[in-house]
Parts: sequence; C-alpha cells; structure tokens
Amino acid sequence: MKRPVAVVGVGQTHHTSRRADVNIAGLVREAVDLALKDAGLEHKDIDAVIIGKAPDMLEGVAQPEQFLAGAIGAHMKPLLRVHTAGSVGASTAITAVTHVASGLYDRVLTIAFEKQSEGNAMWALSPNMPFTPPLVAGAGGFFAPYCRAYIARTKCPPHIGPITAVNARENAGRNEYAHLREPMTFEDVMSSPVLWDPIRYLETCPSSDGAIALVVASEETAKRGPRKPAWVKSGYSYAEAMWVPGRDQVSPSAGRICSKAVYDKAGITNPWKEIHTAEIYVPFAWFEAMWLENLGFCDEGEGWKIIDRGEQKFGAHLPINPSGGVLCTNPIGASGMLRLGEAALQVMGRAGAHQVEGAKTALGHAYGGGAQYFAMWIVSSEL
Amino acid sequence: MTTLRNVAVVGFAQLPIVARNEHRMATEMLYPVICQALGECGVERDSIDFQIAGSTDYMDGRPFGFVSALDVMGSWPARQDLHLEMDGAFCAYYAWVRMQAGDCDTALVVAHGKTSEGEPDRVLNLQLDPYYQAAIGLDPTSTAALQASAYMTRTGAADRDLAAVAARNCAAGMRNPDNQVRTAAAADELMKTPWKVAPLRTGYLPPVGESATCLILAAEGKAEKLCDRPVWMHGVDHRTEMQALGARDISRSASAQLAAQKALAMAGMKDAAATDLVELSAATPVEELILCEALGLNAKASQPVINPSGGPLCGHPIMSTGLIRMGEAFRQLSGCAGTRAVPGARRAIAHGTQGHCLQHNIVWVLGTERRWT
Repeated sequence: MKRPVAVVGVGQTHHTSRRADVNIAGLVREAVDLALKDAGLEHKDIDAVIIGKAPDMLEGVAQPEQFLAGAIGAHMKPLLRVHTAGSVGASTAITAVTHVASGLYDRVLTIAFEKQSEGNAMWALSPNMPFTPPLVAGAGGFFAPYCRAYIARTKCPPHIGPITAVNARENAGRNEYAHLREPMTFEDVMSSPVLWDPIRYLETCPSSDGAIALVVASEETAKRGPRKPAWVKSGYSYAEAMWVPGRDQVSPSAGRICSKAVYDKAGITNPWKEIHTAEIYVPFAWFEAMWLENLGFCDEGEGWKIIDRGEQKFGAHLPINPSGGVLCTNPIGASGMLRLGEAALQVMGRAGAHQVEGAKTALGHAYGGGAQYFAMWIVSSEL
Repeated sequence: MTTLRNVAVVGFAQLPIVARNEHRMATEMLYPVICQALGECGVERDSIDFQIAGSTDYMDGRPFGFVSALDVMGSWPARQDLHLEMDGAFCAYYAWVRMQAGDCDTALVVAHGKTSEGEPDRVLNLQLDPYYQAAIGLDPTSTAALQASAYMTRTGAADRDLAAVAARNCAAGMRNPDNQVRTAAAADELMKTPWKVAPLRTGYLPPVGESATCLILAAEGKAEKLCDRPVWMHGVDHRTEMQALGARDISRSASAQLAAQKALAMAGMKDAAATDLVELSAATPVEELILCEALGLNAKASQPVINPSGGPLCGHPIMSTGLIRMGEAFRQLSGCAGTRAVPGARRAIAHGTQGHCLQHNIVWVLGTERRWT
C-alpha cells in the first residue's frame, strides 16, 4: 500500500430470513445510507463504488450491480463488481482499500449484500455440470467431508462442533443486528438432525437477507471525520486451484499464505498474542477449529483444544466471532464484509454490547469456493 | 495530474471468435490463450504477481464458473487473485490500480464467456431490473433498437448511415483472422437484410460468438524485460450510469463522454482525434456513432481509424469484447497487427462497455512511448 487507508463509516441492516418490506435495491440502499451517515459523508463525497455479492443465481438477476447503480449512488462514477465466491465480501472491501491506497481515490464506498429470500440457495449452489454427477447438496454437502477429514486427522472429539455453535449463538445474543439470537443449549444442538455427517442442523449457518456498506478513505479524510477510524494495516486476497494432487482441503495453503501475508505486512509475528479479536468465516461449526489452525493461532491439531478450553469465548483470551459470526447471520455475499466490518467496529470501540474490551488489533477473514479463495485484513485502532 | 507509475501491455492472446467451441469447455478455451500470452513474454506463470479474471456466471450457465478457471490460470501455489463479474477491460483496470498502489508489478488478466451454453438474448434480459424492465421481456437487441430509434430521431441519421458503418466494419474485419465474420458486405446489401428489431437489421448486428482472452500487464522496469515493444498506458477512466432506460438519454453516452474526458486528461491530451486509431466495443452501428460523438470524434474523418479490427460487429464474445479492443490496440502499437496495421500508429484508444445501451464505459488511452518520466 502506497499510503494509509482507514475505515471511516460502517452501516449494516438488521439481518433476517426475509426482508419482505424492501426490494433488493431498498435493502442495499439501507446499508449505504447508514454507512454514509456514520462517516458524516454524502453521495457527492464518494469517488468510486465497489460492490460484491455471491452467485447471481441466488436472486436470479444477472450482474445486479447494473440495475443497482442508481440505488447505490454510482451514477457517473466508477463502479466495479467483485465475485470471489464466499470470500467476496472481504475481497470487495480489500479492492476498495487498494483504490484508496493507490492515491487515485480519496473516499470509496464498498457494499456487499445478499437477499437470499429472493431465491433458493440450495438450488443455486448445486450446479449441474457436464461430466460431474450433481450432488444437490449445497455448500453443506460439499464441506462436510472436509470436516470429517479434520476430525479424523486431529482426533477432534464430537462435542466440539456443538459447543462452537452454542457459543456463536450466545455471542449473537449480544449483537442487535444478528439474524439468529435465540438462546440455544448443547442439548438443542445434539437433538437437531444431522444434515450432512457430521454437520447438524444447528451447526449450520442460516439463509439471510442483509447488506453491509463501508466507507474507506485516505488518512486526510479519516482524520477530519466525525469518528475514530479503523486503520487498515494490511489486506490480501489469495486463491488456489481445486484439482491439485496433494492439495490440503482441511488447511488450504492459500489460507496459510494469505494470513502470513497480512500478518507480515501488519508487523504481527505472534497472532495469538498480538491480535485481540478475530471475525472469521465459520459457516459450519467445525470450521472454527479448522481456521484457528489454518490462520496460525495455534499448531495443527490444537484448534479444537482452544475451543474445548473456552479460550475463544467472549471475555476470554481471544474472542472469536463476538458478533455471532456466519453461524448466526449469513447473507452470503455480505458475510465476508460483515467479518471485516465487525473487526473494524471492534478496533473503533463501537461494537456495542459485543465490544471486546481493549481490542486494538483485529483480524477479519473470509473464505470461499472449495476452500480455495481467502481474503483477510488486519485493522488497528492506531495509524 | 500527478505522476503515475508507467504500466504497459506486454502480451495478448485470444482464441479466434467462433459461434461455438464444440469440443471445448470454458476452461479448455482459456488454457491455450494463457499459455500463448505467457509464452510470448517468455515467462512461466510463477513470475506473474497478480491474476484477475472476468466472467459472468449467467453466461457460463452455472454458479462459480470462474472457480474452475483458477485451475487453468496456474493457481498453484496460491496466487494473489481477484475475479470481477465484468468484461476483461475492467479487470485490466483493477490490475492497473493495484500497480499504482505498489501492490504488484505484473498481472495476468483473463476473460471468458461460454456464450453458446445458452441464448444470450434471453440470458441478458436478466441483467435488467427484475421489477419493471426485465418483466416486459426486453433483451439487448430490443434495448439497442430503442437506443437506435432515439439516436436516429435526435440526429436524423438514416438507415443508410447505419449500413455504411456496418459495411466499413465488415470490410476492415476481413483482414482480422480472429474474427467470426470475415465476409465483405456492401451497404446496399446490408440494407436489404431483414429487421431483427427495427431499426436494426440482421446485417447491423454481430452473430452470437465466444472466445477467451489473456492480457499481460507489467510496470516499468519489468515491462521492458517481457516485451520488445511494450505498449504503455497513458490514461484510463470508467464511469457507469443508472440502468433504467427512461432515467438517461440513451441517444447519448454521458458516461463514455466523462470517461473519455478523464482518460484524455490523464494522458495529457486534449482531443481523442489526436490518436491514430480507436477500438470501440460497439455492438451496433448506432453504438459506434454514439461513442464517436461522446469521444468527440468525427466518425467520417480518416483519422483516427475506427475499429481497424472490424470491431464487435465482426465478432462479439461477451466478457472478452472489451479486452480484445485493448489487445487490438496493443497489436497495432507493437507492430503485430498484420495486414490490418494502421501505418505509423503511435497512440490508440480502446473502449469497453457493460450493460444495456452502453450503461458503463471504460476508456483506455495507450501509446508507444512512456507517459511519465
């Protein structure tokens, strides 16, 4: 990055199963208005707009940024549409950061959304491809074998998934924007049906309607703004091929390489000690343990032990997903940007009831594809 | 204008545009052009810092079409990567922005669209807002016809003027071996072709075609090592407009006009007419006339030469059309345009577009010399 970049505005909708009161444009506009208000800016102050969402087939509109251009205030401005599967919300925000870092733009609005109630995610994520038998099992069917492989490899005991899910729900109870906030017990999870072994219904993310928008800006704008900004210390997106002999789907090298890149750039040598909270992309409960290892917070095989000891809980050593995370809120295309935006809110000290005390450095993370796409940033309260 | 980093196009390859690659999947279309472009630069994939792909799920007829593309882009070990649901000309833009940010020195830009998987007119109807415009069955041909009517009403352009533009493109296109259409057609003959949607005749519209493309960008210092005659970026800008056809004057392109002004200013030029050639992503003769007006060009003047490649009327592979315009500018300015070479060409404009009726436009200014010293 050629010059410092900061998050100066965050806006998100309340996430829910079905926002019948607004259309797609209305949903997106709600987040945009909130982010601009938060930044103390207006549409005329924005130099460019970067928008992302997951597969267009989720809503049934091809390249919907074209019809949304008016609603998001992009008329007569540069507009880019990002799509990197589940990681898209994160890679979209990082694309916006690059725009400001380049010196070409001062204030960039970045948006991610999904209105899953417009379509059927299971259908949209179950492609019928030539020469490949369709699984018709959605993302859960695809990722369950990865979880099983993790369990087999690390001897992760069977209660880890359920206690991860219970903790996520407890966290979401403190986040007024989260979709699923009802209290949930270990017994509730255990008695819910297994959808894709080992993943139970209550270890699975919901389908949500929701949007988030961020305003990222140069140092000069950030220092003039009404609020304390979150400084983006580093941000990268990496991807790797699917069909590579020896590729480790449980702990993909793209995730390791990407996390090393963001830590190195941010000057972090020991993430477990130097990062105060992390928002990571956990669509199925077992992935929390998997990513703790992949992100270098611990050695291989140690991720589930952190969860077993409760060190990732709210108020403990390294609170993971204090917002409740993807397990409680999943407007797919927005989920990655929610992770990055929540990390920013934490270091701004503005996360409300789920604020992690003393959070100065935070990680936001998302992944997508067949665990191939990774996008992350490190944000800090200090320039 | 502040000093920017000099960035150049150092390689380009495209698959010849055809109606249907019968025996190739999208990834099999992409793989040979990536190998060819890297081969021309004399490098392996490992020496490229960043990769970016342009495609759209709806054109591939499946979600996550771009994920498969990772496998043929040499994405092992993991690469710095992005995918835009946009024409490759916009992907090149983001690669250029990254170079301005100092995040990379070299970039692989690819685009593909397996148009023959479906019926583009029906698929592209789904780009329109789902509440009003898509619901009445508009497709890109009917919206282009509305645009043509609006333009002809405003300017008095006649059927013959459209035929003349199409005939000129067809004549030029015969010299481009990558084109899908390589037959000359006189304006008089084109005027006898049937209406597709009045006032657009079948002779004024490109056939359905598909291709895959790969462009390699490199910053100063690397570019000279990868290419004997790098073609330098002098200026660029892109702008979008509201989609609703009633919310903008579709007989003009305000976004192309603004993008051209900004790109020319960055290039230190006052006038697009000072370039030697212009490659426009005009899918109809009227779009070409509207774009010439937006760029301040006299469509009938001898300089710059408009679409010496034959333009999209001779081959319009969705997602690659804009990147091919950049590739054609590169070929012209690096002296590898074969029999379609514009003699002594030193500066060119390449234009890309997205959406119905030129909703979103990108304008690149390229030259044989470095822009900033």
